Amino acid sequence: MAVEKSMEVEETLRRIVAKILRKDDVVLTPTTTFKELGADSLDVVQILVALEETYDIELVDEELKSINNLGGFIDYVKQKVAEKK
Amino acid sequence: MSLKGKIALITGGSRGIGRAITLKLASEGVNVIINYFRRTSQAELTAREASEKGVIAHIIKANVGEPDRIDSMFREIEEKFGRLDILINNAASGVARPAMELDEKSWDWTMDINARALLLCAQKAARLMYNGGHIVSISSLGSHLVMPVYTAVGVSKAALEALTRYLAIELAPRKICVNAISAGAVETEALRLYANEKSLPFFQIKSTPAGRMVQPEDIANLVVFLCRDESFMIRGQVIVIDGGFSLAPAGLLNPVYAEGEKSGES
Repeated sequence: MAVEKSMEVEETLRRIVAKILRKDDVVLTPTTTFKELGADSLDVVQILVALEETYDIELVDEELKSINNLGGFIDYVKQKVAEKK
Repeated sequence: MSLKGKIALITGGSRGIGRAITLKLASEGVNVIINYFRRTSQAELTAREASEKGVIAHIIKANVGEPDRIDSMFREIEEKFGRLDILINNAASGVARPAMELDEKSWDWTMDINARALLLCAQKAARLMYNGGHIVSISSLGSHLVMPVYTAVGVSKAALEALTRYLAIELAPRKICVNAISAGAVETEALRLYANEKSLPFFQIKSTPAGRMVQPEDIANLVVFLCRDESFMIRGQVIVIDGGFSLAPAGLLNPVYAEGEKSGES
């Protein structure tokens, strides 16, 4: 169950990124950055908002500053989702 | 005439200038609908502070840059409140870049939130203003002064001000007063970010002939005046509130400010 939920966040993020960047073939790896995916600062804001609305969570900009890659970002989102429950 | 019992929507109403407007209206007995973009916890905090003043405070998360989100926000307002008396068009965003580096997406993002949102919100709000109403937008000096990397925001504020004039005339027969407030540098988190990122000398921004910066509460006080019947004959105006900053640029007139300070001491 925990594994399913864990994969769910990754799949949700992948779908959101694909929609916002208008790309079909988005592959997320833990060491990738949003910039490497081709996302600019406005894209990132839209990705954050989409995740916040999907999971009814708040992603805090100050907390995000220390996160360097998608692996860290996905862990952060999962943590927020877990806290919400 | 009292504003007690009126219903106001404040876009971007949870932080900075919007928060001050929300709380000031609440202290006047106005029920407040606080629109916000991302920080739910901050919106909830502002709503709590407003409701402690004895009014209804309701929060709605919506990016006013997206027309469908504006639609759903006004559907929610109609369902919960049935009408609207005051629209404060305050939400703003922008990409800080010189004109030569602005891309289409940054331009659209800024214009959609800062200018188009007034049009779409005013259209929806006017339909809920059955007994007249007030629309007040927050603009900035960047609509006609050139400031570093402020291109997109400045242009969007110029559009906002022009739209204010057109709306004021078109909505006048419906007893809806439409005006804007053009603020100088206001001491908020957003200004600190802008000044820091662009390495602007903060002391220069902080200099005004009035001897201090504009505070969010200064704007909130003016908003309240513009929502009262006493201001009924003010239509389509952009009222500058900047402590005299735009009349006497700090770089040129710092000695004069200093002179004023000296004479004030004697």
